[in-house]
Amino acid sequence: MPTDVSALAELDRLIHEPARLALTAILSVVDSADFLYLQHETGLTKGNLSSHLAKLEEAGYVAIEKTYRGRIPLTLVRLTATGAAAFKAYRARFRKFLEKT
Amino acid sequence: MVDIEKIEKRAVRSFYDDGLFEIALGFVLLLLGGYFFAQTSVPKDSAIGSALSVLFVLVIFSGGFLVNLILRFLKRRITYPRTGYVAFKKKPVSGKRRAATAIVGALMGGFIAALYQLSPSVKTLLPALNGLLLAFVVLLIAHRVGLVRTYVLAAASAVIGFSVTAAGIGDIKGVSLYYGLFGAAVILSGSAALIVYLRRSPKPAADADEGPDAH
Repeated sequence: MPTDVSALAELDRLIHEPARLALTAILSVVDSADFLYLQHETGLTKGNLSSHLAKLEEAGYVAIEKTYRGRIPLTLVRLTATGAAAFKAYRARFRKFLEKT
Repeated sequence: MVDIEKIEKRAVRSFYDDGLFEIALGFVLLLLGGYFFAQTSVPKDSAIGSALSVLFVLVIFSGGFLVNLILRFLKRRITYPRTGYVAFKKKPVSGKRRAATAIVGALMGGFIAALYQLSPSVKTLLPALNGLLLAFVVLLIAHRVGLVRTYVLAAASAVIGFSVTAAGIGDIKGVSLYYGLFGAAVILSGSAALIVYLRRSPKPAADADEGPDAH
């Protein structure tokens, strides 16, 4: 496999998916965000967003906390240290790939 | 292809979408204008005049606190139910940076005070100087956020400051008028943004805040 394409194959596929990439990018610049904010910023449907967040949580990239603001249920999402490191590594690899092509 | 930097910048900019930061800031600027107006209305040698001079430091430092307080109150009621809750990262400020900011602030204050003593005609330029100073601060925010209306506000600050000076209204009276006019301009800008935001972001249905469990 040519070097430039193999570099692409090394990218973290969990983050590389466009919706999850958008989610990790947003979460990398905020401390925490609720489900509604993430839905609004990404334009994903509720089902889609739930599914992507579940995959990221399973990998340990995000932490999801279910709480309440008054009587309103609130789902807070934040990037974990593992997720932040994975995103940082992804960015570095992707930038390297772009420089080579 | 997903543009990561664009997404990150958009997330940071989302804080200003609702115009509430400008409304809160404009309100505090109006209060500042009121404070300076009160200074011109009372005799300098009076007890109230002295008390107002002492309160100046408190007014400046509590301004930021007041903006945050108003903003939290408004965001909880208007923004979070519509486009969700987000907490932005607080960048830790090092001791060196704090010290550098304090030194620069003290030098600027000392420079203006010295100019004031050496050249009484500087009094006539106070509104323009305030206009330029705030224009610079707003420009820094505009550069970080990338919102067109913030650049417009920076220009408005300079224009208002120079216009008040050109009208021959200098000294504290002119400064009071500058803060009143600029505060009103900032509130107007924020209100326009809020109207657009409310039209684009109606309150979702009652179950919208329920996260993944609902699906």
